[in-house]
Amino acid sequence: MIGSLHVIPRWLHPAAWWIWALGLAAAASRTTNPLLLLLIISVAALVVTARKPDAPWGRSFMFFLRLGVAVIVIRVLVQVVFGAAFGTTVLLPLPGVTLPSWLAGVRLGGDITFESLLMAFYDGLRLATILICVGAANSLASPSRLLKSVPAALYEFGVSVVVAMTFTPQLVIDVDRVRTARRLRGRPTTGIRAIAGSAMPVFEGALEKSVTLAAAMDSRGYGRRGALSAKKRRTNSALLLLGLVAACIGAYALIAAGSPVALGLPMLILGVSICLVSITLSARAAVRTRYRPDPWALPENLVAGAGVLVAMSFASAAWLLISGLDTPSNPPTWPALPLLPLAGLMIAATPAITAPPLPQPTLASARRNEIEVAA
Amino acid sequence: MISFEHVSITYPGATTPVLVDVNLQIPEGELVLVVGRTGSGKTTLLRAINGLVPHFTGGTLSGRILVDGRDTAVNPPRELADLVGVVPQDPMSGFVADIVEEELAYGMECLGLAPDVMRRRVEETLDLLGLVELRNRPLLSLSAGQRQRVAIGAVLTSHPKILVLDEPTSALDPGAAEDVLAALQRLVHDLNVTVVMAEHRLERVVQYADRVVVVPGDGEPVISGTASEMMGDAPIAPPVVELGRLAGWHPLPLTIRDARRAAGPLRELLTGRPAPLRVISGERDLAPLTSADHLTVRYGDVFALRNVSTTISSGEIVALMGRNGAGKSTLLNTMVGLKATSAGIVRTNGKDPREIKGSELVHCVGLVPQDPGDLLEASTVAGECRSSDHDASVDPGTTRALLALLAPEVLDGTHPRDLSEGQRLLLALAIVLAASPPLLLLDEPTRGLDYPTKTRLAKILRELAAGGHGILLATHDVELAAEVATRVIVLAEGEIVADGPTAEVVLTSPMFAPQVAKILAPEKWLTVAEVRAAITGEATG
Amino acid sequence: MSDSRALRLGPRSITTIAATSLVGIIAFGWPLIAAPTSSVVAHAADAPWLFAIVVPLMLAVVVASFTDGGMDAKAIALLGVLAAVVSVLRPLGGGTAGLEPIWVVLVLGGRALGPGFGFALGAVSLFSSALLTGGVGPWLPFQMLGAAWVGLGAGLLPRATGRAEITLLAAYGAVASFAYGLLLNLWFWPFTANLPAAVSYIPGASILANLLAWIKFTVVTSLGYDIPRAVLTVTLILIAGAPILHALRRVSRRAAFNPQPKFVRVP
Repeated sequence: MIGSLHVIPRWLHPAAWWIWALGLAAAASRTTNPLLLLLIISVAALVVTARKPDAPWGRSFMFFLRLGVAVIVIRVLVQVVFGAAFGTTVLLPLPGVTLPSWLAGVRLGGDITFESLLMAFYDGLRLATILICVGAANSLASPSRLLKSVPAALYEFGVSVVVAMTFTPQLVIDVDRVRTARRLRGRPTTGIRAIAGSAMPVFEGALEKSVTLAAAMDSRGYGRRGALSAKKRRTNSALLLLGLVAACIGAYALIAAGSPVALGLPMLILGVSICLVSITLSARAAVRTRYRPDPWALPENLVAGAGVLVAMSFASAAWLLISGLDTPSNPPTWPALPLLPLAGLMIAATPAITAPPLPQPTLASARRNEIEVAA
Repeated sequence: MISFEHVSITYPGATTPVLVDVNLQIPEGELVLVVGRTGSGKTTLLRAINGLVPHFTGGTLSGRILVDGRDTAVNPPRELADLVGVVPQDPMSGFVADIVEEELAYGMECLGLAPDVMRRRVEETLDLLGLVELRNRPLLSLSAGQRQRVAIGAVLTSHPKILVLDEPTSALDPGAAEDVLAALQRLVHDLNVTVVMAEHRLERVVQYADRVVVVPGDGEPVISGTASEMMGDAPIAPPVVELGRLAGWHPLPLTIRDARRAAGPLRELLTGRPAPLRVISGERDLAPLTSADHLTVRYGDVFALRNVSTTISSGEIVALMGRNGAGKSTLLNTMVGLKATSAGIVRTNGKDPREIKGSELVHCVGLVPQDPGDLLEASTVAGECRSSDHDASVDPGTTRALLALLAPEVLDGTHPRDLSEGQRLLLALAIVLAASPPLLLLDEPTRGLDYPTKTRLAKILRELAAGGHGILLATHDVELAAEVATRVIVLAEGEIVADGPTAEVVLTSPMFAPQVAKILAPEKWLTVAEVRAAITGEATG
Repeated sequence: MSDSRALRLGPRSITTIAATSLVGIIAFGWPLIAAPTSSVVAHAADAPWLFAIVVPLMLAVVVASFTDGGMDAKAIALLGVLAAVVSVLRPLGGGTAGLEPIWVVLVLGGRALGPGFGFALGAVSLFSSALLTGGVGPWLPFQMLGAAWVGLGAGLLPRATGRAEITLLAAYGAVASFAYGLLLNLWFWPFTANLPAAVSYIPGASILANLLAWIKFTVVTSLGYDIPRAVLTVTLILIAGAPILHALRRVSRRAAFNPQPKFVRVP
């Protein structure tokens, strides 16, 4: 463990961050205990603070935090407007209306009780926590590195996403340049008309560039693949068909009346798995390799493992019926701090140390102005 | 290495072939220059080498193209990727990744090379092309010259035996162009790579070429030969060759060095003869059309211009020269108010250009931007001309009439994006001139222009200046500057380092001196036309 | 000869799209279509998570089946460029009142370049814009599938030209972008099990009761977004539809999808 403190700075595999964050989110989905939820948020914030890169996507955590607050506010407001109040502690007595029966007799307004507000707050907080965990992953995992590690079967999809991500800033620069160039013809450069007027030439230019890009990709060996024997192709197609049929049967069985869980779920999982096997086998025909792929080593295992463990600690606490995961709001009770989930959260915070530190920011990120000058 | 056997190529939907019965043999390890007008089929020839034509474009290829023994009919471009590396005209549009290092590796990933091989080759290529400091930089932040070298590196990592380049130096300043050409020469000499490149700027490349292929277009036969053979009677030639032909030197020199050795008698002949002074003809109102006074412009914390002071008057043609990123475009943009000043004063037509609103501006000053397409929004040439008349509030038909003068071959119904680069430039020029602004600014107008179009542009600029327009022209093209400019301003890192009559500025500069000046130094002659006039004047007088 | 479809669908891809769409319909619609006694209703709290895993995997299968059929560089590059356009447009609305101008691109792209391309465009563009804006989450696969359907549907619209085509596309754009909002709403809805009963999903309640609750939920939460979105889409298609379609068709001609090179031997 001590050794891992002296690791060479590098980027952690983005998938490890996602597993960790989703584990944390799964844990959050199992509880309405506000203390636990706030602790989960703190853990996420701690790790993000420790390992967040200085990149545009690194800032999305703040966005998700604000989103979380909004979710709580909306949830509480919905409760006030639509909630049939329960509990005895009336904070604000208000008149209520019951809508006519063609609106199924919804009751609007009514007394605001502490109990119902508390319930709404817990519920909103849980959703907000899940969102914030996702935000942590968005902040920590580099999107371009995530794309580098897409499985071989999705390589082409990955390439088009890479093209999109590379091209987006270029488009913004182009629109801006063309918009200001309208001045040279004595046309307005601000307002909707100016943007619309400059969007079209940029759009056409972008479309043309796609053809040049395709030619360049073709010339550089894009889409080279070895021949898969006809027999193998047929086998793969048959596998795919089988998997698709199984997945459809499974999905249908899930919603059909009275069908046992034992049919729908396994069938769906089996079908999807067969499909995945088929596309993986098909992708074997490709000859591509990866340049400097992100390794999956000890730190990745530690970070992903922390995510898995925290999810398991909450799930097993629920399974063992350990009290404290749910906090009753009617009557209001002070939330407890159950030990097992707490231990899980301690582990979930370890990536703040076990994840390798980030490489020093290169000059690259400090060169935005030069991009502007070059353009 | 490359052989074309009776190759004719017809695009889908076309009635006549682009190339007819081409027979070419290109041996291994040669640097081959392909020359020809825009639209002559030069690019088609290049793209046929790796099978992009017709595998990518569609169409019919008759005959046979063998590349290192492989027939392009059965090998589509991707199967030739390990053999032929193609660098597109605009490197930026061919980049797949966003970081230099990733871009260098992309081709190798497609070829399925082992990770350790890829790593080694990336490092080698970074060294070979001097890209080490740029390895983690986003491609978008690179200068044009750096992008060009990355584009070359990106195909080199696959270790192709053949490198095909379409106008590799057209967007580069003289220094960056020499870097790129030196890198190419190293590939030919040290690694025995066969290089095939198309280039309009013969003066930059012809001395490096072992062989020249002329694609005349219009179904005329493609001819090839050694560089000096072909330059003997090629319709287009760099100034060094033209001077050689004029003076009757034999063998015809292709390099400045060879020409200087042969130029002794010519220099003597010209000694004492006054080189023609470029004066602004006629009586002029010398009030400046635009002036900059201690002008400073910055982008964030990067200074694009520092303390620049200059004026442009009517009748002048001023060439603005300097490296990529020296601040040339910024100066032009500031003079029309596209960019705000950070300190100092700019006055165009006596006013702050940022304050001139709407159509008043087009009557004061016209700017043709680096990409003339930026000015074009309509879907036909005729539509563009009509909206231009409207913008400038001039009589309907004014722009169209101007365009007919500048580029008579352009048709009304054509989509502006389907025009050639030169035609697009002239269309933008016609639009800008519709309001007859006294001051005309052009940003890098000769990029991608072939010789005939460039000659036409030079003539137009002289006529405009004679008609009283003041012209400021940012350019990398030293020959154009030598030909038309009455004054040259050199910018470096945002500061004016030289400002004076053309001859005074360019003669002393190794980077910006035209070929004739280099050959005839210390005599002050700039162009072949001047020398010819002096000599023939002698003969008749 | 070349055809305008940038991505040709083979029997494999069609089967995969059909199966994925079926699973997708169930993944979106189970609260409204599942029988009250079905197993998914019995595990209503876990169902959204299950589908959040299944849907992306099925999408992966579809995308892989496209490319396995030989998705050439032109389709990939055009897909990337149009996805970039979407990524630029998406934040423009700033999330205000559903003013997302992206539907124009998806509808017209699907129309001009074919159903297969439309499907891929919907999926790729939502994915890349989410990556760029840090909007990746369990909702993303559902957004991708919804947008993919919009693009697919645009490609399957009947033949029409001129004014009629634009009107058709505008009508489709309105319906599709509105329906997209409803679908995404439906995905989210089961998470609201603790909401007041009038608007929340109640596992095991009758389909009709849930449908009414969902309609009320929609009116309360998302109609303010869905209607402006549909209006904006219609307006943009009516104003800019013709030139954008023209530009897309021009590039599709220029790109010469599926070229048929001919080689003639000269003796």
